[in-house]
Amino acid sequence: MPASRPRWTRLHWMRGRVEETENGGRTLEWIGCDDAGAPIARVVRVQGPLFSGWRCYRAVALDSDARIVELRPPPPEGAGWLACVGGQVVGRAAQPLAAVRTAEAALTQG
Amino acid sequence: MTEYSLDKIRNIGITAHIDAGKTTTTERILFYTGMSHRIGEVHDGNTTTDYMDQERERGITITSAAVTCEWKDTRINIIDTPGHIDFNIEVNRSLRVLDGAVFIIEGVAGVQPQSETNWRLADRYNVPRIIFINKLDRTGADFYRAFATLKEKLDIVALPLQLPIGIEDQFVGVIDLVEMKAIVWEGGELGAKFHDEPIPEAMLEQAKEYRQTLLDTALSVDDAAMEEYFDKGDVAVETLKRCIKAGAISGAFRPVLCGTAFKNKGVQPLLDAVIDYLPSPVDVPGISVAAEEGEDETLDRRRIKADVKAPFAGLAFKIINDKYGTLTFVRVYAGTLKSSETVMNTTKGHRERIGRMFQMHADKRVEIKEVHAGDIAAFVGLKDTGTGDTLADASDPVVLERMAFPVPVIDISVEPKTKESVEKMTLGLQKLAGEDPSLRLRTDQETGQTILSGMGELHLEIIIDRLKREYGVEANIGAPQVAYRETISRPHTEIYTHKKQTGGSGQFAEVKIVFEPLERNAGIVFENKVVGGSVPREYIPAVEKGIRVQAETGVLAGFPTVDFKYTLVDGKYHDVDSSALAFEIAAKACFRDGMKKASPIILEPIMDVEVTTPQDHVGDVVGDLNRRRGMIQNQDSSGSTIIVRAHIPLKEMFGYISDLRSMTKGRASFTMQFHHYDPVPRNIADEIMSKSA
Ligand SMILES: Nc1nc2c(ncn2[C@@H]2O[C@H](COP(=O)(O)OP(=O)(O)OP(=O)(O)O)[C@@H](O)[C@H]2O)c(=O)[nH]1
Ligand SMILES: [Mg+2]
Repeated sequence: MPASRPRWTRLHWMRGRVEETENGGRTLEWIGCDDAGAPIARVVRVQGPLFSGWRCYRAVALDSDARIVELRPPPPEGAGWLACVGGQVVGRAAQPLAAVRTAEAALTQG
Repeated sequence: MTEYSLDKIRNIGITAHIDAGKTTTTERILFYTGMSHRIGEVHDGNTTTDYMDQERERGITITSAAVTCEWKDTRINIIDTPGHIDFNIEVNRSLRVLDGAVFIIEGVAGVQPQSETNWRLADRYNVPRIIFINKLDRTGADFYRAFATLKEKLDIVALPLQLPIGIEDQFVGVIDLVEMKAIVWEGGELGAKFHDEPIPEAMLEQAKEYRQTLLDTALSVDDAAMEEYFDKGDVAVETLKRCIKAGAISGAFRPVLCGTAFKNKGVQPLLDAVIDYLPSPVDVPGISVAAEEGEDETLDRRRIKADVKAPFAGLAFKIINDKYGTLTFVRVYAGTLKSSETVMNTTKGHRERIGRMFQMHADKRVEIKEVHAGDIAAFVGLKDTGTGDTLADASDPVVLERMAFPVPVIDISVEPKTKESVEKMTLGLQKLAGEDPSLRLRTDQETGQTILSGMGELHLEIIIDRLKREYGVEANIGAPQVAYRETISRPHTEIYTHKKQTGGSGQFAEVKIVFEPLERNAGIVFENKVVGGSVPREYIPAVEKGIRVQAETGVLAGFPTVDFKYTLVDGKYHDVDSSALAFEIAAKACFRDGMKKASPIILEPIMDVEVTTPQDHVGDVVGDLNRRRGMIQNQDSSGSTIIVRAHIPLKEMFGYISDLRSMTKGRASFTMQFHHYDPVPRNIADEIMSKSA
């Protein structure tokens, strides 16, 4: 008999910050809450390049306080979303749903 | 279809490289949509969209036929397009008027260089696409490998909506990842029954994995769908389809289906996908109006939205002459038009009365009384409307964005086998050139020969063949030659006096003309600066005609002279002896003498060549390109394949395909298209002139 696998941690995901664009809004983050409604994980869209004054930031993302932070080194191409748990980046994915699974997997393993 | 509703129309094209199975797929579609009750096989030479005789013999598609059929209450107008590069014009003009396309690749070879070319063409017009991996029944077919080439070669997010069950002769059906079921065909014959079943146990895990990828990718285009997923742990089929359609239209990803057209598997789900995922005329932004003279082409311009109640606007995209007369195919963008109404040809600025209107169902035509926004119909009875012209209501006389036509770069001389058929031949060729903007016709002033210019040898060969079949003229042709041009490189003023006194009345005319070079592609420009009637006004058109005709035959080697301006500044006439003919003769002679003194040069077509070669041969390929006077533009690698781009004179490309094959043991391939005209180097100019002398 294989050892019983830990129960998969499912969070309740809701839309976080949204950026206004020409054709409606674009979601920049999804927030994962536990059963008590406390936010414990996030997936955030990697944006960039961002030009500010004379500097160019190749990849940036919103932190949990909605400040723009630079990602260094920039994530590889095709990694459009970061999975974060408790302020730590636990993985990357091309699509938000896959990033959601990455975050939940990190919580499942504890 | 009784009720007319815009969202129940699809205007689609089927595009791919040569021999991928476009015609076969179209045939199957026509069969399954019930419009065509017999099935044609390409190799039996009786398919419906390949309606010209030569297509049936050669088994390739030359003209695109627009065919109408119906599937699940939706009207589908299909344009089957040719794969061979010589007929690029057909692909171009089809893409222009379509709202979506089915892009076919082969299950054995995957994406090939020519598929790439056609893919980029569709990119240029932002055409939403679904991909069909065909020929899975063939030995050596591999869905996953073919699928991988989509990302490798085209650099796209390809998204499978199906997986094959079995492969080669064991290929029996597909797993539908949207509805998570298997679709199995009960045989390979035409009209074979099919049914749904549960996904085979052995493939369940893999199917789940692929469905997760499908959800990950598709739902990311729609936040409401993401929320539905978080709520329920899955989404409704309708939601998923909505997301796939949105992504397919925006190009965020490209849905992929599979099957074998030949063995009749996968065609019905492909039709479902056309309806579910390709846009209707209201799902796309609408066609832009043409840029005004001098306006920045890159700026956003007014778009004509699909609206049945708006003033009529349509684009003539194809002309076919057959035994019933001239058929003009029009894509209607706005409004409603009834037969016998009158519209403006806004491109040319005259009125056109619409005679009868038809919709083409393969070989059969169905007369219709009115046509609406979003649809395609063939008009009969238009007097002077060419490919690319706009037809519009006089109350809103818009001109729609024009099509770009390729430059014909290969010349052949044509001569009827019997003297009596000269006129018939000219008439036939004029008609054929009227149908095909990539074909040009001229007469060499010195030799009197008729010269045809086209896109390539195959293109011209087919034209000669059509001349024989459709116009009953047998012709001898010369060897294919590069379509050189001539121009001048400095200004010169020439005076010519034409004077002849033979017996009774004489001939007299004198012209003074300034010839000046213009930039490339400027064409021929005329200005009249005569003052005080030294050349009477009625003779000016004769001067223009003389130059225009003579310019067809350049002074160096007899090629058309282009990109120059001529200004008539002065002249003399005689009350009795001057005539239009005398001025025409004087203008011709003035051109011949004047051009020689204006430093004439020969221009040659330079091609944009793309060679795809395995890494190990890249040195040989590049060295060889250099020897062919090539200018290497860049070099890209994708995996172990290298793509070399270069500008090379067309002259050096004759016979390239066989040299390339032997150099790379058949592993490299290339495509080319016209890029620009450049002056030829001295030694080559001498060679060309001595040949023409
Ligand atoms: N085994 C197999 N052969 C196929 C399949 N589809 C087409 N073919 C064969 O492939 C050849 C080319 O098919 P066509 O349908 O003429 O291809 P096409 O893309 O229209 O070709 P062009 O118009 O010349 O560009 C024909 O001999 C077809 O019978 C398929 O699914 N399986
Ligand atoms: Mg074909």
